[in-house]
Amino acid sequence: MGPERTLALWCPAWAVATARQEDASLADMPVAIVERGPRGLVVFAASAQARAAGVTTGLRRREAEARCAELVLVERDPAAEACAFESVARATEPITPAVVLERPGVLTFPTRGPSRYFGGDDALAARVLETITALGVSDVRVGIADGVFAARLATRRAEPGASGPGASKSGASKPGASNVVAPGKSPLFLAPWPVVVLRGLMGDSAGDALTSLLVRLGLRTLGDFAALPAPSVLARFGTDGARAHRVAAGLDELTAAPTPPPPDLVETCELDPPATRVDEVAFVAKELADRLLDRLAALGLSCSQVVVEAETEHGERHSRCWRHEGGLTAAALATRVRWQLDAWLTNQASDADPVTAGLTLLRLAPDRVVPATGRQLGLWGGDAAAVDRAERVLARLQGMLGHDAVVTAVIDGGRAPAERVRWVPWGEPRDEPVAADAAPWPGAVPGPAPARVYEVPVPAELLDASGDPVRVSGRGEAPTAPAHLRSDALPGGSGAVVAWAGPWAHDLRWWDRITRRRRVLWQVVVTCEREEQVACLVAVEGGHAAVEAVYD
Amino acid sequence: MASAPPSRHLPRRDDAARARLAAVANRTRPVTLARERSLPVAGPLGELLPGAALTRGTVVRVDGAPGAGATSLAFALAAAATQAGEWVGAVDLAGTLGAEAAAAAGVALERFPVVRLGSDAIERWATVVAALLDGVGLVLAELPRHARVGDARRLAARARERGAVLVVLPTAAARWPGDAALHLVAEGGPWSGLEPGAGLLASRALQLRVEGRGAAARVRRGGLARAG
Repeated sequence: MGPERTLALWCPAWAVATARQEDASLADMPVAIVERGPRGLVVFAASAQARAAGVTTGLRRREAEARCAELVLVERDPAAEACAFESVARATEPITPAVVLERPGVLTFPTRGPSRYFGGDDALAARVLETITALGVSDVRVGIADGVFAARLATRRAEPGASGPGASKSGASKPGASNVVAPGKSPLFLAPWPVVVLRGLMGDSAGDALTSLLVRLGLRTLGDFAALPAPSVLARFGTDGARAHRVAAGLDELTAAPTPPPPDLVETCELDPPATRVDEVAFVAKELADRLLDRLAALGLSCSQVVVEAETEHGERHSRCWRHEGGLTAAALATRVRWQLDAWLTNQASDADPVTAGLTLLRLAPDRVVPATGRQLGLWGGDAAAVDRAERVLARLQGMLGHDAVVTAVIDGGRAPAERVRWVPWGEPRDEPVAADAAPWPGAVPGPAPARVYEVPVPAELLDASGDPVRVSGRGEAPTAPAHLRSDALPGGSGAVVAWAGPWAHDLRWWDRITRRRRVLWQVVVTCEREEQVACLVAVEGGHAAVEAVYD
Repeated sequence: MASAPPSRHLPRRDDAARARLAAVANRTRPVTLARERSLPVAGPLGELLPGAALTRGTVVRVDGAPGAGATSLAFALAAAATQAGEWVGAVDLAGTLGAEAAAAAGVALERFPVVRLGSDAIERWATVVAALLDGVGLVLAELPRHARVGDARRLAARARERGAVLVVLPTAAARWPGDAALHLVAEGGPWSGLEPGAGLLASRALQLRVEGRGAAARVRRGGLARAG
């Protein structure tokens, strides 16, 4: 049996729409939403004017600003997006009860019932478009195809020119578009797409690895990939690859039919006193998510769709279904629950069934569980056991000392040693820079890396032969040579400089009057009290010297 | 805790079968004595260590004046552990461990979590180190000023029980109050490459002294040419 016929609704640049809703002054400005990624701030979404000026997704902030001078940059706020998208989800509810949120800006639902009721897929698509545009959403795309994956791709092919009369959005009477792929034609529709679209099906790094491997093997389109025999794909690419293969062939993502989960998997928590603010419930939500996934894992199951339900003091019941490709993790689930609660508790004015009182009950029910094909422990407890053990301990330490107290290091670009290391709290993505992306850093301190890098440099005095502080001119030249270094970082507190290099002038952020810094670095070797040699890096800024790092 | 928490990644529907499997695994497991289980250390540093390895479940003291190379030495030990597939946890009291130098020494940074213990949480030092000993194969701990004898004894016992290596790295005014199986002292050495007003720091010939108990009782001295 083929996959369930599904309608996907996509609001392109939903992030932009949200930002404009929050700040009306942005309405006629070119806007770009930026997100912090491994390469710094990159464009996540851009408004139509900005796109016309050449601002595209993935562009770095500096390039985006260069292409469009009056561009306004807004940092992404996924919680606000989810909150605003709740109105769209509610408007869809009269059409179907089975709305599934994928992420802010995208929702899906099976069309079997509603399509027959409204008289066919085309009529249903028109109806959905009409409903959503009535809310004042400026751009809506609707796609109907066999399966969620195909439907989501169909939205991308829904061109506004096809159904709206004018090309420009301001004068168009229909600010949306739809694309219906005929039943059974989904494999044909999918075949020409590049394999990169499979990337979202699994985690970012796994998706990147698979798609880049497929391209290197010469399989550039989904059609090429789907033509391979399924057993070979499973043998070569593992379970993730097999799943991607099924999806590429237009088959259902799940090999076994999803079983309705046993009712005892529902996790419930009563809130007493009733909660009226999100932060009161968020903690409970995290705990519920952890408990639910723990119990599913103990049964060897993982879950890709969860219904979030809440009850209020006045007996109102709200529920919403969230789906995540590639299985929900506890952190991802807790974030989605938080978004949903935020939407219910803050978005109450304009709706038919508002939340009028505090929440008294929160319930998480897994809607679609599949066998977990995750990790297998070694017979004697191998690598996976070590990872498990370490993860548990680090999470405990974070609970004890705070989120930021447990970190791992990522080596990034920069000039001084302290700038080259980024400390990432444990559990957050490390976003390691790709080697090919590494930009050259002219003026970077060369040579071996120092083993001690002081975040707060240790004050020091760098003196010349006559006992005066070593001065550096505005051109970065020193008339006298350093002869003596005094600092608490040295054993004995001071020593004679026997060798040095520098000064290396660093003019940082010279384009900004307020945050601009000028400083010079000296690399020195000092002989201390017991004739031992200590090498260190001394910075001089504004006439004050400090030891930045010691080669220990 | 009443019972062991269920594994998060493996179904435990048939405890009986698992128990039988564990019994078989126990019987067929290669026989190793605790002191024979070790973390191999490669290169010139390994030649200075008894058996070219660190024994699991022991305490290793790394000493040296500031700038003498003690931190690099500790990173070299951490690198040996991560290269053996172990996790290494570090306790950093002042936020001064140079991650780039650790990476250059061969430490796999994604398996090198660092716990930053500010001065406000310093009294939890022993608890944190004990927790890390539970979770990772080697703990690199900077010593706070007031490390107690009782703590030292408890941590040594915990390391022995868990089969983890505890590397203590004294800071300015702190000494390890317990004893250690192995004592590495970095004695500094001349730097090469940098001259008055010319050149760049290139490398140093690090002088090293190793002493300890048992097989390590004979004091060994050696040089360790290294960059940084």
